[in-house]
Amino acid sequence: MSRLSPAVARTIIIVCVLIVCEIVTDYSSASRIIVAPPSEIFWQVLKIVTATSNVPHFYPNAWITIQEVLGAFAVTAIVGIGLGFAFASSKLIGDAFEPILLVLYAIPMVILFPLFVLILGIGMAPKIVFGITVGIFVVVFNTSAAVRQIDPNFTRLARSLGYGRVMTFFKVILPATAPTILAGLRLGFGYTVIGVMAAELLVVTKGLGSLIDWASFNYFTPQLYALIIITLMIGVTGNSFFSVLERRWVK
Amino acid sequence: MCQDMVVVETTSICKSFFDAATGRETVTLENVSISAAENDFLVLIGPSGSGKSTFLNIIAGLIPHNGAPGQVSVHGQPVFAPNPKLMAYMFQDPVLLPWRTVIKNIEFGLEAQPISKEERQERALKYLDMVGLRDFADFYPRQISGGMAQRVALCRALALETDIILMDEPFGALDEQSRIVLGDELVEIWRKVRRTIVFVTHSLTEAVYLAESIAVFTARPGKIKAEIKVDLPRPRKIGSPDFNTMVDTLWEYLKEESITALNREKTGEDRVALPKE
Repeated sequence: MSRLSPAVARTIIIVCVLIVCEIVTDYSSASRIIVAPPSEIFWQVLKIVTATSNVPHFYPNAWITIQEVLGAFAVTAIVGIGLGFAFASSKLIGDAFEPILLVLYAIPMVILFPLFVLILGIGMAPKIVFGITVGIFVVVFNTSAAVRQIDPNFTRLARSLGYGRVMTFFKVILPATAPTILAGLRLGFGYTVIGVMAAELLVVTKGLGSLIDWASFNYFTPQLYALIIITLMIGVTGNSFFSVLERRWVK
Repeated sequence: MCQDMVVVETTSICKSFFDAATGRETVTLENVSISAAENDFLVLIGPSGSGKSTFLNIIAGLIPHNGAPGQVSVHGQPVFAPNPKLMAYMFQDPVLLPWRTVIKNIEFGLEAQPISKEERQERALKYLDMVGLRDFADFYPRQISGGMAQRVALCRALALETDIILMDEPFGALDEQSRIVLGDELVEIWRKVRRTIVFVTHSLTEAVYLAESIAVFTARPGKIKAEIKVDLPRPRKIGSPDFNTMVDTLWEYLKEESITALNREKTGEDRVALPKE
């Protein structure tokens, strides 16, 4: 008997779930306001991305969300990696400031959001800042853990071979920490998307979050599902991008 | 023979560590003066904590000693920092970079110096041939055994083509059989390429098996207790009467020191936390 590949098994499961959903929504008494059949959701996705649905200003709103996510993630990555290296390379800095970060990490960030709105208004700024505060911790912690886990023999070896600080950083420290840092960035991207979307749903002005809110408010259920799926694609795309990078590295 | 050129020379090296936690200063090396001639195979042996590895690190320029009047000189030049043009250093662990293939790991040793890509590769292959690992050039460290990894580390040290190779218990993490085989290979290579080797070990057999001369360290603070010439013919035979006599002689020197070191550990008296270096 031939063995199923994981990809095939996964596809079968997904197709089965979709079929079941389709049948349940078509033949049960479940209200069309609560559920939509997958075929119609798929149809809506097509209509939305071709701008032929009743969803208003899809591309301008999506572009705003993408800008927020990319902006927040750029800061998360650069500042997060920088802080991670700072914490790991100086015992004083690490011991002094890491506990603060751990405490901040433990509180639910969403309670800070009203504060951000108060200070930064209701434009893109509070959403970006919120995305950063949700996403940055895992990047910082992964980076500092990666640096601390480097075998001290690696740096001793480099020293014995005449490597200076800069060369050691690029030839030893960076490649040694890259897999863990990439894993941190992958998780950090996911959290950043969560942060930005949560912010968009809390302060409804522009962005995919506002469209989701619009669809939900008007009981456009298929559109709601379709918009959720489109939003998910942003997270999935980022995640796969980093997975590919990681795999290439580990190879 | 008696006027061999001195390649490595240390004069009255002292080293003490300051332990900030207890506020005590521990002397690990006291007035160590040793020299190794050209093509020498000098083995440093001593009880644990005698500072023989520290001493090797000081020769390598990896850690500083207490300074004047002590001095380390190599080819007559004082040593202050690692110099990969003069000395290769080999660790107890292979210390191979897991993201580089075997050959790239050997080339890593040369990348800090202005050596062309072609020459790096040429040298790496030359020494891989010497240890019989050419077929494994494109393997990653996780795909090869511990003994092979240590051979690759040896290649990396040899590829620097320095006159001097410093080895800190390089086969210490291997099983006894691999140790003997690798020791044989090392002697074979040493006779072929004629380098000066300074080799730290705590194994009596390994010392007698490999050395041209042996320096015996005392228990802490490390001093030189004896310097012994080993003039057994090569290839040496473990367990031959001459070999055993030599091991006995060495043990006579070491016994008392080992007991001192062990008793110290047992009583916990004078316990110190030495920095890991």
